[in-house]
Amino acid sequence: MTSDSHALTTTEHSPVAGLAHDASGGISNPILGMLLFITSEVMFFAGLFAAYFASRAAAAPWPPAEFEHTLEPFSLVFPATVMLVISSVTCQIGVNAIRRDDRAGFIRAIGLTLILGIVFLLIQVYDYGLLYSEGLTVAAGPYGTTYYTLTGFHGAHVFGGVIMLAVILYRGMAGQFSSRHHDAVEATSIYWHFVDVVWIGLYTTLYWLR
Amino acid sequence: MATTAPALTPAASGYRSGLYEWLTTTDHKKIGILYVTNSFIFFFLGGLLALGVRTELAQPGLQYLADENLYNELFTMHGTVMIFLFIIPMLVGFGNYVVPLQIGAPDMAFPRINALSFWMLPLAGILLFTGFVTGGAAAAGWTSYSPLAQDRPLGSVGPGQDLWIVGLLLIGTSSILGSINFLVTIFKMRAPGMTLFRMPILVWTVLVTSVLVLMATPVLTSALVMLFIDRNYGGSFFDPANGGNAVLWQNVFWFYSHPAVYIMVLPAMGMISEILPVFSRKPLFGYKAFVFATAGIGALGFSVWAHHMFTTGSVYLPFFSLMTFLIAVPTGVKMFNWIFTLFRGKLTFATPLLFALGFLSMFLIGGINGAFSAAVPVDFALHDTYWVVAHLHYVLFGGSVFGVFAGVYFWFPKMTGRMLGEGLGKVQFVLMFIGFNLTFFPMHALGLAGMPRRIADYASDAGWNELNLAATVGGFLIAASVLPFLWNVFVSLRSGKPAGDDPWEGNTLEWATSSPPPPYNFDHLPEIRSERPVFDLRHGRAGSGH
Amino acid sequence: MSSSPRTRFAPGSIWAWVLLASIAVGLILAVVTDSVGALFPPEAATAQGREIRDLYTIVFVIAAVIFFVVEGLIVWTVIRYRRRPGDDELPPQTHGNNLAEIAWTVVPTLIVTFLFVISWQTLNNVEAVSAEPEVTVRVTGSQFAWTFDYLDAGGTSVAKQTVANGEGGILALPVGRSIQFRVHSVDVIHAFYVPAFLFKRDVNPDPDGRESVFELTIKGSFAGEVLRGQCAELCGLGHRKMTFEVHAMTQANFEAWLIEAQQTPPPAPSGPVGTTLQLVAKDIAYDTLELEVPAGEPFAIEFDNQDLAGITHDVDIRLQDGTVVANTTEIDGGSSTTYVYGALDAGEYTFMCSIHPVPSMTGTLTVN
Repeated sequence: MTSDSHALTTTEHSPVAGLAHDASGGISNPILGMLLFITSEVMFFAGLFAAYFASRAAAAPWPPAEFEHTLEPFSLVFPATVMLVISSVTCQIGVNAIRRDDRAGFIRAIGLTLILGIVFLLIQVYDYGLLYSEGLTVAAGPYGTTYYTLTGFHGAHVFGGVIMLAVILYRGMAGQFSSRHHDAVEATSIYWHFVDVVWIGLYTTLYWLR
Repeated sequence: MATTAPALTPAASGYRSGLYEWLTTTDHKKIGILYVTNSFIFFFLGGLLALGVRTELAQPGLQYLADENLYNELFTMHGTVMIFLFIIPMLVGFGNYVVPLQIGAPDMAFPRINALSFWMLPLAGILLFTGFVTGGAAAAGWTSYSPLAQDRPLGSVGPGQDLWIVGLLLIGTSSILGSINFLVTIFKMRAPGMTLFRMPILVWTVLVTSVLVLMATPVLTSALVMLFIDRNYGGSFFDPANGGNAVLWQNVFWFYSHPAVYIMVLPAMGMISEILPVFSRKPLFGYKAFVFATAGIGALGFSVWAHHMFTTGSVYLPFFSLMTFLIAVPTGVKMFNWIFTLFRGKLTFATPLLFALGFLSMFLIGGINGAFSAAVPVDFALHDTYWVVAHLHYVLFGGSVFGVFAGVYFWFPKMTGRMLGEGLGKVQFVLMFIGFNLTFFPMHALGLAGMPRRIADYASDAGWNELNLAATVGGFLIAASVLPFLWNVFVSLRSGKPAGDDPWEGNTLEWATSSPPPPYNFDHLPEIRSERPVFDLRHGRAGSGH
Repeated sequence: MSSSPRTRFAPGSIWAWVLLASIAVGLILAVVTDSVGALFPPEAATAQGREIRDLYTIVFVIAAVIFFVVEGLIVWTVIRYRRRPGDDELPPQTHGNNLAEIAWTVVPTLIVTFLFVISWQTLNNVEAVSAEPEVTVRVTGSQFAWTFDYLDAGGTSVAKQTVANGEGGILALPVGRSIQFRVHSVDVIHAFYVPAFLFKRDVNPDPDGRESVFELTIKGSFAGEVLRGQCAELCGLGHRKMTFEVHAMTQANFEAWLIEAQQTPPPAPSGPVGTTLQLVAKDIAYDTLELEVPAGEPFAIEFDNQDLAGITHDVDIRLQDGTVVANTTEIDGGSSTTYVYGALDAGEYTFMCSIHPVPSMTGTLTVN
C-alpha cells in the first residue's frame, strides 16, 4: 500500500487493523481467517473420524453385543439435533437482521440461538449420564472411547461457539454492530453452521450408520 | 521513469527498545526476531542432546549412561526439539520477518494472534523439558509409537509422555494460528501491482507451507488427543491390550508427519531461491515452473505417508512407493532451476551463497538416498537403520539448516542494520560442512551393515566401532562450528559494518526500506512490475528483461 | 543507493576449488581404502535377499550417475561463472526455458517410473508366500526376548527356543528350504531384522493374535554361518539387548538339531520335592528378587501370575553366565502353576522371566 496514512492515533484502528476493510473489496480478513480456521477444524475431526472408522472395521461386531441398543437415533439426541439445526436457522436470521441494520431483530435471533446452544449442551451432558449408567464409558472398549471422543470434542466446539455467541450478543446489545461493520457476527455464524454440520455428520455416523 | 530509491534515514533506535516492548510487541519484525532467537536456543539445546547421544555411541559399551532409559529420552527429546522447537518455528520466524516486507504490507493480518503464536512456544518448551525432572522425559521416540507410548509397565509410565503430548498440542496450535495469519496476509495484503505471479518465491513457499500446516497439523492434534485419552482415561484407540489398533497410530501420526518434512524444508528452499539470484545477478530460472513444482510437492506430500510404514505388513505398498518416487520429479525440477540460475551468472561468494551451495549439494545427497527407500524391497533392508538417520539429516540439516544459515547471513543486515563478519562466516561454513559430512556420511555404511536406530549401545564385534567414532568426532566439529557463529553475532551486533538499505543489491521489496525498517515498514513503495521490484528500480525496466 | 557492494567481499573463488578438491580427495580415499564396498549391503544370505541386493545395485548405479552429473554441474558452474573483480555488467537475464523445464520433468519421470516398476517386480518375488512351506517358525517378540516356536504341519509347536536379552537359545534354520515366519508381539511393536537377509518385518501386537507372515530361503553357501539378528523397532529400555543369532545349517544338521531341541526342557524330575517357594508376578515384576534353596534336592516354586491376561511369565533358571539350567513353560496372566526343578549344586544362579528379562524380573537364587 503506497499508504500515506501515518495516522496511528487519529483513526480508531491502527493502519493494520484498518486493512481488514480494505478498499479492494472481497472477503474481509477476519472472515477469511475464520474460514481457514474452520478448514483446520475439519481436518481435526477428519482425524477423529478416521480413527472411528478404523476402529469400527477392526472390531467386529460393531456395535459390540453389550451396546447393541445403547445409541438409539430417536432417543434424547433427536430433539437435541433438531434444536441445533433450528439454532443455525435462528443464527442466520440474526445475521440477515444485522445486515439490514435491524439491531433488535439481531439481538432476538442471536439470543434465541444462544439459548438453543446451551440447551443442546445440557441435553448432551444429561445424556452422557444416562449412557454412563448403561455402561457405555470412555474406557468401554473402542466403541465407548470413539463415541465420547467424537461427541466430546464436538461438545467442546459447541461450548466455544456458545462463548462466541454470548460475546456478539453482548456487543450487539452495546450497539457495536451495524450493517457496515459486523465481521464478528459473520465469522461467528460461519463457525456455528460448521458446528451444526459436524453434528449432523456425527449423528448420522454414530446413531444411524452405527 | 526509473529513479533510485530515495535515501532513507535509518530508523530510530528501534531495537534498543526495552524488555517490556519485546514482551508485548505485536510488530511482525520483532516477533520474527523473537522466533529466530528462541529457535536458536532450542537448536543449541537439541544439539546438546545429540552430543549426549553421540558421546555414548562413540565406543561400544555403556560408558556414561547408567540408566538406559535416559538414552531413549535423549534421542526422543533431540528429535522432538529439533523438529518442533527449532526448525519449524525458525522458518516461521523468517517468514514472519520477511514476508510482509516482501509483499509491501505494513504487518501481518492478525498481529496479536501472531504474538500469541510465538509466546506459546517457550511455554511448550518448558513443559517438554520439565519431563526430565518429573521422573523422565518422553522416551518413546519423537514418533511415539503405541503401545510403547501407552501408560503400561515397560511402556511410558510417568508424566513425561503426557507433558510431551501437551507441549506438542500447544506447538501445533501455535503453528495452525500462524498458518492462518500467513495465508490471510499473503492473499489479502499484497501491495498494488503485486499479483500472485510477481510474489517472491519465498512468499510462495510460505504460502504452500501454510496450506500444509493448516491441513496436516490438526490431524496430529487429533492423534495426540487420542493418545492422551488412551493414557489417562482408559481409552482404546491404540493399545491392543485394550482392544485398540497399534498401526492406527502410525497412520494418523504419519499423515501429519510426512507433510511436516515439507513444512520443514519448503521455506528454506524459498530462502535459497531468494539468495541464488542475488549472488548470481540473474533472476531465478523458471519462476513459474518453480511455483508449480512447489505446489506439486505440497499436494503429493499428502499421498506418501505410509512409506514410513512399509515394514508393517499393513499398507498397500505399490501406491505409496509410486507416489514417493514421483515426488522426486518436482524436487528435481527445483534443483535444476537453481543450478541454471547460477549457470551463466556472475557469482559472488559471500557467506549466504556458500551456505546456499552447501544446501544444494547436501540436499541432492539427501534426495538421492531417499530414493533408495522408495524402492520397497530395499526399504525392507534399510528401514529403522542408520541409513534413515543419514537420509533425514542430509535433507533436514544439510538442507534446511544450511538454508537457515544462508538466510541468517542474508537477512541479518536487514534485521539489525549491521553486516555479519565474512571471515567468521566462512570459518563457520567450513567447519560445519566438514563436521556435518563426517557425522552423517558414515551412517550410510552403518545402516547397510545392519546397525539399527535407537540403540544405546552395540556389540563390539559388529564392525561398527570406527564409523561410530568418526560420527562422534564430526558431531563435536558441528558443535565447534557454532562458536564462530555466536561470536560473529555478538561482535557484529556491537560493531559490525553498517549495512545500509541494500548491502547485497537485492531484488525484492525488503531492500527498498531502511535496515532495520521503520515500524510500519515502508514510507514509500517502488512500483511493482515483476518479481524483482528493487532490481527493476535499480536498473530501470531495461534491466528486467521483460 | 549504498556504495557498490561488490568491493566488499573477496572474490572467494577459492571456495569452488576447495569443494572440488575435497570431493576429489574423498573419492580417492574411498577407492584406496576400498570403502566403496561399505556403500553396499552385505552379501545376501537368502534368495530373496539376493534379489533385493540386485535391485539395490541398479538403484545405486543410477543414483551415482545422477549424483556425479548434477554435483558436477554445480561444481563446474561455480568455478566457471565466478564474477571477475571489477566486472559490474549484468549477465544475460535469462528467465527460463520451457524446453528445459519439459526435459527435466519428463526424463526424471521416466527414470523414477523405471525404478518403480523394477522395485515392484522385486517386491512381488520377495513377498511370495507358498501354500505349503517346508519349515514354519512362529516368532514371538516380547520385552525383551524372542521366542521361536517350530511348528508342525498342524500348527502345533514341537520345539521352542527362547532368547532373552540376547542370550539363551538360537534360531536354527536349514538352508535350501523355504521357511515361513509367522511373527507377532505380545506387548509393544518390535521388528524382526537380520541384516544378512536384507530384510525386516514389524512384529505387531494384535488383539486377536494375528500374525504377519513372510517366507525366506537361505542360500546353500551359507550353511554353517552364524548371522546376527536384532530388534529394529524401539521397544523400551531393553531394546538394544534384544538380539538373536541365526544358525544356518545343512538340512541334515537341522533335522538332528530339531530332534535334540524337542527334548528340552528335560522332563520334570521324579522324587520328592524338598522345599517349595512362593513367587508372585505383578506389573511385570517378581515380588521378591532373592530366593534361597538347599543344594542337592529337587525343589518347587508355586508361581502366581497376577498380571492381566495376555501377559505371560515363567521362572527360568540360568547360570550367571547365561547358560540355561531350567526352561519352564510360561503361564498366562490370571493363572498360577507349580514349577518343579531338579537338584542344583551350591552356588549363585539367576532366576528370571524369559519373556521379560528386565531387572524387575531378574533375581538371584542362592543354593546352599
